[in-house]
Amino acid sequence: MDLTRRALRAAAARPRVLPAALPGGTPARLEAERLLRLRDWPVAATPAGADLLLVTGPDCPALHDPLARLWGDLPAPRARVHAATAAEVASALDTGRERLAAWSGRGSGAQGHAGGNDRVQEPPEGGGGHAHGQADDGDTGTGMPMPGGLPMAETGPDRDGLALDRLHLALGPFLCDWPTGLTVRLVLQGDVVQEAVCEDPAAPGGTPFWSGPWLRAAAGEPVTAGAAARHRAAATCDSLGRLLAVAGWPEQAVAARRLRDGLLAGAPAGALRGPADRLARRVGRSRVLAWLTRGIGRVDGGRTGGSAPAGPPGADGDATDRYRRWLDRLGRDVRHLDDPAPLDPYATESPRGPWEPAHPPSAALLALLPALLVGAELAAARLIVAGLDPDPEELAGAGVAPRG
Amino acid sequence: MVERGPWWTVAAAPLLLAALAALAVAADALLAARGAGRPVTLTAAARPFLALPRALVAGPRRLPAPDLLLWRAGVVTVPVAAVLSTLVIPFGNTVVADPSVGVVWFNAMEVTTWAALWLAGWGPNAAFSLIGGYRFLAQGLAYELPLMFALIAAATGAESLRVGDIAAAQQGLWYAVWMPVAFAAHLAGVLAFSFLGPFAHPAGRDAAGGVLGELSGPDRLLLQAGRWLWLASGAAMAVPLFLGGGAGPGLPAWAWSLVKTLLVLALLVVAARRLPVVRPDRYVELAWVVLVPLTILQVLVPALVVLGR
Amino acid sequence: MSATAAALSLLGLAALAVLGLHGAARALRVSADPLPVMPFGSGLEPAEHAVSRFHVRWYTVTMLFLAFDMEMVFMYPWTLVVSAMGPGAVIEMFVFLAILVAGVVYAWREGALRWT
Repeated sequence: MDLTRRALRAAAARPRVLPAALPGGTPARLEAERLLRLRDWPVAATPAGADLLLVTGPDCPALHDPLARLWGDLPAPRARVHAATAAEVASALDTGRERLAAWSGRGSGAQGHAGGNDRVQEPPEGGGGHAHGQADDGDTGTGMPMPGGLPMAETGPDRDGLALDRLHLALGPFLCDWPTGLTVRLVLQGDVVQEAVCEDPAAPGGTPFWSGPWLRAAAGEPVTAGAAARHRAAATCDSLGRLLAVAGWPEQAVAARRLRDGLLAGAPAGALRGPADRLARRVGRSRVLAWLTRGIGRVDGGRTGGSAPAGPPGADGDATDRYRRWLDRLGRDVRHLDDPAPLDPYATESPRGPWEPAHPPSAALLALLPALLVGAELAAARLIVAGLDPDPEELAGAGVAPRG
Repeated sequence: MVERGPWWTVAAAPLLLAALAALAVAADALLAARGAGRPVTLTAAARPFLALPRALVAGPRRLPAPDLLLWRAGVVTVPVAAVLSTLVIPFGNTVVADPSVGVVWFNAMEVTTWAALWLAGWGPNAAFSLIGGYRFLAQGLAYELPLMFALIAAATGAESLRVGDIAAAQQGLWYAVWMPVAFAAHLAGVLAFSFLGPFAHPAGRDAAGGVLGELSGPDRLLLQAGRWLWLASGAAMAVPLFLGGGAGPGLPAWAWSLVKTLLVLALLVVAARRLPVVRPDRYVELAWVVLVPLTILQVLVPALVVLGR
Repeated sequence: MSATAAALSLLGLAALAVLGLHGAARALRVSADPLPVMPFGSGLEPAEHAVSRFHVRWYTVTMLFLAFDMEMVFMYPWTLVVSAMGPGAVIEMFVFLAILVAGVVYAWREGALRWT
């Protein structure tokens, strides 16, 4: 037992963290990502590979069940902490580490049956027909045995008219390198998306973080163009970080996120230009990345009458065109960080496109998703979402439905 | 001349392989620390090994209706096959065994990862894992043939499938020098069967960890270790096949083997970080239309040289 | 020690290491009670078992691969006899390979190497 305690203490020096970002908590998420990077606490992709569930952002009742699902799937020893604001993140991480180091199986969400009370008890009937999986092999009244309480996949026609097994899989709400609060329900045949439905994002309330300067300027508050450029550059780096992580290039994803953290921390313009140019050179000029993203998520921005789905001009082209435009804009923005002129929120593009209070740009990006995702492989689907990178917070902030 | 070592080399070979894999993990951790703006220290290099105590204390999980037998068989096969591949890899002038079909043995051990990773993806009965397992099969269709032609190019040059003979046949001129395409195809193949770096698609973060997604505790550690053991094994195999084995001036043969292996390993660790994931839906076309014909032409070169001798 | 004995010894050692790791984990783990969990679904419950007939759209590539894999069975022994058999061996092997590559080119033109 003493050896176990020593191993627990040793392992707690580097907890693997499963981040769960709640809508409206972007500053807390950014602070968490920064601290995890500096502390070398690896970010886990699934509960199986995690020790610490880190919830960031204001409490969101609509997401209680998915959070309980994640927490219930973490193997012991485990700990769960919640940081509602950026200021609470550091202490929440410390608390989590202490709980892991002193794990006793009691109090901090015990393994097995003792932990049963924080699990999802019974999903609502008819909510996609999910059966609870913890029951022993039982019957559902139809006479079909249901091992593990789950039905087998059923077949559906594919594009060639074959009847093939279909799996239902949701991307989001809690998925690594995924827009906060977004849920896309997929029907997959193999790893090919057959149907895609975007759910209405969970409403966070409050002002969306990334378009904040535009909202404030529109409301008459003084915002300088330099501050807006810094904010937009940071937003671009955040999007790039997600795209590069999804594209499987952790080295450059970390570089983009470091630059983002530097921008948000108010680092002087001179210190940021070098990293920004390096990112533009390594990522923007990478032929391999361009080859891998070419033709993915092609959108017709109104310039040609092609067969691609029509979208806003800012989303024109494929994933390669879009990330190259991000890098160009990033390069321009880091040269205007000290611009003292006031921001004209209607003349200057917000991070995700021209700002209109009634039609936030993310609404148009989200509306594009279902048509683009159908027929894509899972990897391409992730690249499409990360390459458009809609911000669901904008919709909730403006009170607009996603497909309005 | 490569000779069969005494009985204790059976134990020494896996230990050496594990040490090389650990060095690769530490080097990768240092590069990651530099990239993330953390201090590049010995502690930073040692931190990934905290996964060992973590794996030992983890409580077990039970998924609904998993295929436990096949799942575990798949996971265990990856590191075990990596260890078995060391049977034919000479270190200096010593090798555990030098069978007349050493190259085929290495190839066969490497091919078991196809079955192993598919099983590791199938076993947990989880959608993301299943996708990860199939991703490796698609990747295998792309990397395997260029790798096999690379191995055959080296074997043709020496007219032997005995690894020791191939190392000895490169007196003065390494195969890497006059068979650069085969050497490059071998290195790409090493990254591919280790599913690291540009070939990490089966364990991709975009599929929530793929084959790694539902693994916890010792099983997760075994599969992760298997990746790095294979990287070390592939780097060590490149030395007798393409870099003249233990031959070199001044130093003893074992030292040359060590230096060359470490250099190849360093090259692989750096290259793995430099590239994004190359998805099979793009790589298959490149592999079949460009790499397969190129490596076939590469085999023709040693065949003609052998005829001319 | 013969090669077979050495291979079996290596296998035994590797199996011992795996068993040792699992044994140590069994002795040190904080709980022996398996935690009932669900496969990861981004926080949502799975709707059905994941094990299913997977739509493999690259199946035509597997046919090509099979042809080349059979060819490899001939090519490994061929490497040993190149100089003994003379130019005939090289010509025969590469004519065979050329026929296979012609098949690859045909499959490529038919779009078999692209499935997205």
